[in-house]
Amino acid sequence: MSVSRDEVLRIARLAELAVDEDALPTLVEHLSRILDYVAQLNAVPGGEGVKPFIPGPDAIRFRADEVKPWPLAFGPAEMAAAFRNGFFVVPKLAAFEEPE
Amino acid sequence: MSDGKEALAAARTVADRIRRTRRLNAMLTPPRELRQSLLAQAALTHPSGVLYGMPVAVKDNICTLEFTTTCGSRILEGYRSPYDATAVARLRGAGALIAGKTNCDEFGMGSSTEHSAYGRTLHPTDKHRVPGGSSGGSAALVGAGVVAAGLGSETGGSVRQPAAFCGVVGIKPTYGRVSRYGLVAFGSSLDQIGVFGRSVHDAARVLSVISGRDPRDSTCEDRDPLRLPTVPENLDGFVIGVPKEYFPVDLDPAVRRACERAIRIMKEMGAAVREVSLPHTAYAVPTYYIIAPAEASANLARFDGVRYGPRFDGHADVRALYRTTRGEGFGPEVRRRILIGTYVLSSGYYDAYYRKAQQLRALIAQDFRNAFDRGVDLLFTPTTPTPAFKAGEKLGDPVQMYLSDIFVVTANLAGLPAMSLPIGRIKGLPIGGQFIGQAFLEDEMLEAAYALERAVPATQEA
Repeated sequence: MSVSRDEVLRIARLAELAVDEDALPTLVEHLSRILDYVAQLNAVPGGEGVKPFIPGPDAIRFRADEVKPWPLAFGPAEMAAAFRNGFFVVPKLAAFEEPE
Repeated sequence: MSDGKEALAAARTVADRIRRTRRLNAMLTPPRELRQSLLAQAALTHPSGVLYGMPVAVKDNICTLEFTTTCGSRILEGYRSPYDATAVARLRGAGALIAGKTNCDEFGMGSSTEHSAYGRTLHPTDKHRVPGGSSGGSAALVGAGVVAAGLGSETGGSVRQPAAFCGVVGIKPTYGRVSRYGLVAFGSSLDQIGVFGRSVHDAARVLSVISGRDPRDSTCEDRDPLRLPTVPENLDGFVIGVPKEYFPVDLDPAVRRACERAIRIMKEMGAAVREVSLPHTAYAVPTYYIIAPAEASANLARFDGVRYGPRFDGHADVRALYRTTRGEGFGPEVRRRILIGTYVLSSGYYDAYYRKAQQLRALIAQDFRNAFDRGVDLLFTPTTPTPAFKAGEKLGDPVQMYLSDIFVVTANLAGLPAMSLPIGRIKGLPIGGQFIGQAFLEDEMLEAAYALERAVPATQEA
């Protein structure tokens, strides 16, 4: 089962991923190869009604609901690409907003 | 009694060795920054720690305060974590020296350390070959004798496969044994921090220090740290299962010979060896390559140019910013896996792919339970189907690259502890043998590994 060029572009939009036009043919080929390979699982009988296996503790342990200082050596301002007055700065969301 | 100078001497030695082995491209931390940091750490560390003065290199997807944490990706270039991972903090507490950040496949996605934005890492003894991956930088440095131990991470064999290729010991603990606080997430139901060592004991000591409960990671089990077993005289009473599905007809003959020799040695040491069957093994790789990309596509959604790393912008709206940053910041293998993950989770395909893979995962885990329920203590298998392959050999076909992990992904899918140790060579290239143990019985697995390590001619041709 192969994927088409349009399908790859649709998935890329869902994944918020820009795809380079030049790289598209190879990407379509590789994704088709991978999806053809993993699709073999559909031919495997059994498994219906099997409870999904999830490793890890049987129950989530909750922490005490106490306010504690966050154990960071420095704050979000030093991590963010842009940060002002306690907020992450991103480009304007709406076209009617005036640029600064 | 130590006067505190050993750590300084160790810091100088390891800084020199790292500088001399720069051509491996295994270390991402610049040599001068690393030397300064090592000397500063050595001056502060206390001789009472159980890992006092031991240099430990750390894979670049594990957060450290003093070095950048890039995950081998352009999208996190220059990123500095505001906290240490729990594993790193525990190493420091035990007196170890954090010997820089090591190269890896981008976000742990790859089996050759060729998918790093910072160039490929070379195999420690053959520059034309790969060290394995994704934790290839740590494996290569331990294999080259630069550091005694290293941290790596596993989602689908990324410690054991490079350990086998580089001729070192690599341990993946049970899911939930080691805190993942500060490990950059790839596939959250699979990820575990693992360790490399030049010997079973070195790797086990490091594992013991980093293991145990952590209130900052809800997937970490509420258990004490791993207690190290004593080195056994023999393997009396051990029942070792050999799964026939791990010895296919096309297995590399030298790998088969090395495994058969190791099995013979374990029998001579008193172990009972039984053939067992894990019938769903053939479906492990396709199952893994649905579940891991699905989880990755969700985990990597956070890298969008707003909160972390560089921003590739110049666009009018925020979605264009996300798309451009992610399109330019992620390399080809990560982009492929995000797209596969988005595809298998998308409407109309979820049942055919993701639900089916979850069912197969349950059957693979059940295979292991069946084997252990029949009285088998441990399983022994080859770690990889071949020794280290040539650089570039598998880049053209992603499925061929994925198949190099065929014997290692099962333990991640089932959440079990597993380890690789050197059991022989072919034309000078190391071959790894793998133990797979029962959940939280790492001590039994280590006992058998201690015994086999002492008896197997690991540096001789198989």
